[in-house]
Amino acid sequence: MVMAFGTPGRDPEVLRPRDPAEACRMKAALGAEGVFVAGGTLLRTQWESGAAKMPGALIDLTALPALDGIAEEAGALVIGPLVRLSDLVRSEPVAAGFPLLAEAVRRIGAPSIRNLATIGGNVASRTGDALTALLVYDAELIWRTERRTETMRLEDWLADPGAGEGFRLLAGIRLKRAGAAAGGRAGRIAGGFRKLGRREAFIPALVTVAVLGRLTEDGTLAGVRVAAGGGSAVPSRLRAAEAVIEGARVSPETLVRLGEAVAGEYRPASDAFAGAEYRRRAAANLIAAEWFTLCAPDRKEGEHDPDP
Amino acid sequence: MIERTNPLPAAADAAVISFTLNGEPVRLAVPPARRLIDVLRHDLLLTGTKIGCEIGRCGACMVLVDGRPVNACLTMMYQLEGRRVTTIEGLAGGAEALHAVQRAFLEEGGFQCGYCTPGMIVSAAALLAERPDPTDDEIVEALSGNLCRCTGYGGILRAVRRAVAIGREADGTG
Ligand SMILES: Cc1cc2nc3c(=O)[nH]c(=O)nc-3n(C[C@H](O)[C@H](O)[C@H](O)COP(=O)(O)OP(=O)(O)OC[C@H]3O[C@@H](n4cnc5c(N)ncnc54)[C@H](O)[C@@H]3O)c2cc1C
Ligand code: FES
Ligand code: FES
Repeated sequence: MVMAFGTPGRDPEVLRPRDPAEACRMKAALGAEGVFVAGGTLLRTQWESGAAKMPGALIDLTALPALDGIAEEAGALVIGPLVRLSDLVRSEPVAAGFPLLAEAVRRIGAPSIRNLATIGGNVASRTGDALTALLVYDAELIWRTERRTETMRLEDWLADPGAGEGFRLLAGIRLKRAGAAAGGRAGRIAGGFRKLGRREAFIPALVTVAVLGRLTEDGTLAGVRVAAGGGSAVPSRLRAAEAVIEGARVSPETLVRLGEAVAGEYRPASDAFAGAEYRRRAAANLIAAEWFTLCAPDRKEGEHDPDP
Repeated sequence: MIERTNPLPAAADAAVISFTLNGEPVRLAVPPARRLIDVLRHDLLLTGTKIGCEIGRCGACMVLVDGRPVNACLTMMYQLEGRRVTTIEGLAGGAEALHAVQRAFLEEGGFQCGYCTPGMIVSAAALLAERPDPTDDEIVEALSGNLCRCTGYGGILRAVRRAVAIGREADGTG
């Protein structure tokens, strides 16, 4: 016996593409009336708040198992966009090679949200809290269009998503293994991620910062990467801040200059809860504090965990 | 298989979704994007799952899908095809026996108005199924998506710790 419920005609239909190319064709044909859905957690908040209208059709990306799973490639890890945040946090290769990403994702939402939400949805939203961590790992995004596969650095895509965005399907996130990433010189990799919200947990970020580099044997920093984001601001690398400490030794004086560089460069967005100026200062202080902690002499060799 | 007859004709845009609900296989003809919370509360009259914020922020609507807690207000029916859904009504083994977490909430007074309680219990039960002996930090983390406006959480944390103890006793390790 099948029971039937619901009001006909009020809910969107759900389309299940057979392959990424078909998903792109569906999107191209439907335009604004068709929306890619992964976990649907962000979309649901947008529909409920009225920020977005419920479309006529949902293009169910979970119909594409090829977009799920984490694969090892030569010198890189490729994370499928459908990987649930809770599975990403539990992934050993992610924890071992990209602990800042694991930490950033662990701080998103609550367990039940992470059981539904995907990393692809977080990235595609352009404001997800995982982005700063992905930026310091210099992640690449693999996009599918109807006919082609394109690879683009995350940083470039955040700066300019380009034309035809709606027809592109995120098909993978490629993370090159560290070592090669941070300049390849001797020393230890040092990295940290910080999320500042209005509560300690289960709250969207006001500010997220991520830093990564190599503390070389002579005490200078090499391959420094610094990124900030949070709220409705699209995250970015902070190149001027990076330049201040690249090749330098961390000292009270460099940290002050670093903080000034962050405050001068970072362009956060205000909302009803926190102004841009507050966020700029918070980002500057968090980044300076993070480097101070990471370069403290009592840190153990090889330590690369984001939390003390 | 659920055998209740249903007076409504199949909706024009309905899809048939097959899943397991509290141990019973069910087949429902529903609009595929309909929220699980609406199907539970309005269509199936399983009102133990509560509704609060409707945007994933309060945890009153927590259910288990394949044993993992998810918010029924965020879950759409098509996402449940082939899955195993457990609501507060299906948590206990039988009609008489309470789940250890339910017993512990009663014994420790882990609620006041009780509105958040089904969601709290579902989240706590999921934690204990995975980690029978969690640390306090793990308990707090597991309940971080469940808000309570009444208790101040003291009684709730006590209840979860009590449920851990009940589990140990049942195990013979306590
Ligand atoms: C209660 C609650 C708390 C939250 N807390 C946080 C938080 O702390 N930090 C945070 O960053 N976010 C948070 N979020 C937002 C959201 O859950 C996350 O960003 C999540 O990772 C989105 O993933 P999803 O699979 O649910 O995306 P969906 O909602 O399915 O999609 C989000 C967007 O991405 C697009 N999209 C999805 N997958 C693809 C793809 N493969 N290719 C192209 N486009 C795609 C969709 O079309 C849509 O525009 C929260 C949400 C809720 C409801
Ligand atoms: S009603 Fe679902 S989380 Fe509040
Ligand atoms: S007991 Fe009233 S909300 Fe928790």
